[in-house]
Order: sequence, then structure tokens, then C-alpha cells
Amino acid sequence: MRIITWFGTLTPGENGSVAEWELFPKDTDALARMLVQPKEPGMDMPPAGFELRAAAIECGFVTSNDEYNELLRDVSIRAAKYRISSGTPDMGMIQAVEALDDISETANTLSERLAEWYGLYFPEVGLSSETLARFVAKYGSRSGISPDDDLYGKAASSMGAELTGLDEELVKGFAGNICTMYDTRSRIEEYIVTSMESSAPNLTNIAGALIGARLVSMAGGLERLARFPSSTVQVIGANRALFKHLRGRAPSPKHGIIFNHPHIRNALWWQRGKIARALAAKISLAVRMDVYSGELNESLKTGLDKKIESIRAANPKPPKRDNKGGRGKGSHKNKYKKNEKTGGRK
Amino acid sequence: MSPKEVSAGIFEITNRGGKQLATKNLVPGTSVYGEKLVGIEDCEYRIWNPKRSKLAAMVIKKFNVPIAQDSKVLYLGAASGTTVSHVSDIVPDGIVYAVEFSPRTMRDLIGLCDVRPNIVPILADANRPQLYAHIVEEVDVIFQDVAQPNQSEIAVLNAKRFLKRDGNLLLSIKARSIDTVANPKKVFKEEVRKLEHGFDVGFKVLDSRELAPFHEDHLGILARVRN
Ligand SMILES: C[S@@+](CC[C@H](N)C(=O)[O-])C[C@H]1O[C@@H](n2cnc3c(N)ncnc32)[C@H](O)[C@@H]1O
Repeated sequence: MRIITWFGTLTPGENGSVAEWELFPKDTDALARMLVQPKEPGMDMPPAGFELRAAAIECGFVTSNDEYNELLRDVSIRAAKYRISSGTPDMGMIQAVEALDDISETANTLSERLAEWYGLYFPEVGLSSETLARFVAKYGSRSGISPDDDLYGKAASSMGAELTGLDEELVKGFAGNICTMYDTRSRIEEYIVTSMESSAPNLTNIAGALIGARLVSMAGGLERLARFPSSTVQVIGANRALFKHLRGRAPSPKHGIIFNHPHIRNALWWQRGKIARALAAKISLAVRMDVYSGELNESLKTGLDKKIESIRAANPKPPKRDNKGGRGKGSHKNKYKKNEKTGGRK
Repeated sequence: MSPKEVSAGIFEITNRGGKQLATKNLVPGTSVYGEKLVGIEDCEYRIWNPKRSKLAAMVIKKFNVPIAQDSKVLYLGAASGTTVSHVSDIVPDGIVYAVEFSPRTMRDLIGLCDVRPNIVPILADANRPQLYAHIVEEVDVIFQDVAQPNQSEIAVLNAKRFLKRDGNLLLSIKARSIDTVANPKKVFKEEVRKLEHGFDVGFKVLDSRELAPFHEDHLGILARVRN
């Protein structure tokens, strides 16, 4: 076993001693750069209980405890500085958000193609998008469907054509590719969540990782987002309407990205505008906290929850409709009715 | 009136305002986050507010704080270093490994490390101790304040790798990061159970007290690995 430490690579010997070692150059900057680098393959990290300090002294890397402390501290400070300054994490995130949109769009287009294609052979399947792709990639033709599968019965009585030979190979492979795309999409999503939690904990706490990431991406970075007034935050993502509004040529469009937030989506229609304003205001605050302190502050979230509660309590009934504005809202009426049941919950 | 040492390196100062906690300033003349400096008999003390630090609240709540002058401490969730700076005061002959995963917060922490000789900053996720095992040695104490849903798991992962056999774990559990709606008392009970029986390494919880009124819905825990 070859293990790597901050001062060199070693082979541990009997009872905690070091059998063999190769020390790194004893230079703060060189050691810091080694720490920042990804680990070499084939190297293990020290096992639990390994005595790093004793090993460093045994190999003659340092001669005293004080020297060990001093050098390790200087190296770690230097390494942390390198890691912080190596490109702003925002840029990677912005790319990831755009990649997420691209891949979702492509996966959807291809899924639609698959539905049409596979529909020739099993029109009753009743699945779509990711579930369909996984299903086809797994079984191929109807005859491959396992008797344990819920669709086994339907497949047996299907009116579809037989899927065989080259056709089956192609359709199955195509479905497999779509599955890979969905896998990549979830990995990108995970990446966005972790990197948002560390680079913008407050924004993530208030807006959620994905909506937060989109806001950062559209604003062109967290620091730029921090400079927007909350009235702008509310409309980010309302695309063309937004740009017109920013150039002062149109009234503020109402539906930015934050309208995808469950607080707003599930709200009763007459409370939406008010909740959107409250949410946008808290998002602005959260972003500023992330830029200036970086520490998670739970009170923002509690404050928002209270504010929303009070908006709900103060506006229990829809306002009386006047005849002018009636049509637009009326057309939404049914949709909102349905939401009423879930409207009060988060 | 001279300061009373309530635990190694931790003092209680009595003045006009009543009793206050303080640590001996390792870097005299500098205040880290705006805390007051008080000079008494050629020593300078930094006032330590329990509302700003879980560890200080634990001291006031009469926890036995197992940190000595030469202790090695692994501090998980260092943030910008408010509490870390006091731990650094408490262990003038020891060392503090300060782990924090937010790069922005790390900026401030590095500023603190620059002026204090005994803090080693580590930008890493405490969920993945294998990524800093080439830097951190075995320690006497792990102090953890990360406010994450899997707080006890993080503690166990790190204790397995870094805690000496007779070392101590000091943990601040925040009920609302685990479950935002459940009754905190229930959450605490479940976390204690998890620490004692939920993982391959069991802890013995030696002491646990709520940190209110300084920190609402927080539980302080002192534990040891069960051998
Ligand atoms: C409540 S604050 C700590 C305050 C600090 N102990 C003090 O008293 O000065 C929690 C900190 O833990 C950090 N944190 C949360 N999860 C973490 C993880 N998995 N690894 C490292 N740090 C983490 C957060 O970024 C935040 O700065």
C-alpha cells in the first residue's frame, strides 16, 4: 500500500513505522500546489489512526512539532487561497444550467420521436418520456417484456406490428441513448444542487437550488445578481418582455422565473402578485448575504414564511372583479379552483 | 477583580455588567469580529458571547469542556471563524484544523488564519473526510457545528477517522436543519439514539443539554466513542 500525505508518499511498515518514503520538496508553494491537485490514481489516503505527524518526523521531513505545525499551517493557507481564486465557481454553474436546459430539450425531442416510433409496435404502451425510454431500452420488442411487468398483459394483446431484427436493434439502441441523456441530466442537477449549497446557501434556502441557479445564470453571476433591485429579480426570466421593460419601453412583466417556485405556483391567484413581491425581496436579501458573508442565515426563511402567512391571512377572498379586468382572470378560474385544496400548503 | 478560570483557557470575568465569558487573546491588540477586549493584570481577554457561539453557550450550560492548552481539535463547520478564534485562544500549544465548505466564508477564515499561528484552514466537505485525511492527524476533540440534516452521520464519519480512542466529541445539533416541522425534543431524542446505536461506530453520550435561551432549538452533546 502506498499512501499519500501532504508532505510526501509513504509505504507504512510494521507497527506504525514507515518502511519507505518519498518526500515532496520542502517548499510552501510547491506543497500547496500538491494539495490543490487532484490525487494521483493508485495512491491511498492514510487509513484511520495513521500518525501523520510522527511519520513526518520519522522521515526527517521536519524536526519538531512546532516546525510541523508551522509548515502545515502555511501550506494549508496557501492551498486554500489557490482553491478560492481558481476561477469563480459561478462560471461552471452558469454553464451547467445552460447544459441542463439543452439536454432537457434534446431529451424531450428524442423522446417524442421514440414514442412515435415505438408506437408502431406497441401503441397501447401508455408511457412517455423517461419511463418510456427506460422501458424500451430494457425490453426491446413486446416479446421481450418480462411476465412480472405490469404491461405484460397489454403487450400480449397489442394491435401493434412485430418489432424484429435490425428494427428492434435500432429502436432499443435509440432508447438507450435517451436513457444516458436522462442520467447525465440528473448528474448535472446534482452538481447544481451541491455547488449552489456551497456557493449560495441563502439563495438556495429561499429559492431552491434550481431556481436559484437560473437566477444566477441569467444575471451573469452571483455578484451581478446582488446588484439588481428586487423588482428586477421578480421578473428575471420573463425573456423578451423583460428586456423591453429594462429598456424602459414596457410595463413590468409579471412572470419571471420565480413564478415556478411552489410558494407562488400553489398560491391562490389573487395572492400571487403579493407573494411574488415578498419572495423576490427575500431573494435579493439572501443573495446579498451570500456575497458578503456566505453564511447560512435561517431567519430569512422564517421571515418569509411569516410574511406569506400574513399575506394569506390578510387576503382570504378574491377581490371583487370589475368588468374591465374580468376576462383574463375569468379564463383562469377553473385552474385556480383546483389549486385551492393545495394552496395553503408548502 | 481577577478572572476565574472555569475550564482550561476559559475565564469568567466579573465587571459592572455582571459576569461574562472570555478567552485570553492569543494575538493581543486585535479583535476578530468586533468583540470587546478587556485588559486585566497585563493580560488581554476577548469577551465571548454565548449568543454568538454554541461552544460558549455549552460552557455556560456547565458542560465539561474537554479542551486543554495543548489539545488538537478538529473543528467542522468553521464558518468565518467566530468560535474558531476562541478555540485558538484556548489551545495556545495545540492546533485547530478548521473545516469549512463554503468558499466565500473561507475567505474570511483565511484572514483569521493569517494572523493566528495555530489554525489550519481546510476548504472541504465534512461529509467526505477521506478528502482531507492526508492533512488531518488524530485529534483529542472534534467540535461540530454544521447545521446539516445528516449531522450525526458527519460526526461519525469524522470520528472514525480522526478521533483518538479516548477523544471527545462536542456536537451542536440544530433541530430545524433535520426536520423543520417536528417537535425539537423528538428530533433530539432521535439524534441521540442514532449516535448511540445508529452506526457501525457507537458513541456514548455523556452529557446533553439544550442551548436555549442562547440558541433556540439547539442541543449540545458531549460524547465519546464506545470501545
Ligand atoms: C452554524 S455555522 C457555524 C458557525 C461557527 N461554528 C461559529 O460558531 O462561528 C455552520 C457552518 O457550517 C458550514 N457547513 C455546512 N455543511 C458543511 C459541510 N458538509 N462541510 C463543511 N462545512 C459545512 C456552513 O457553510 C456554515 O458556515
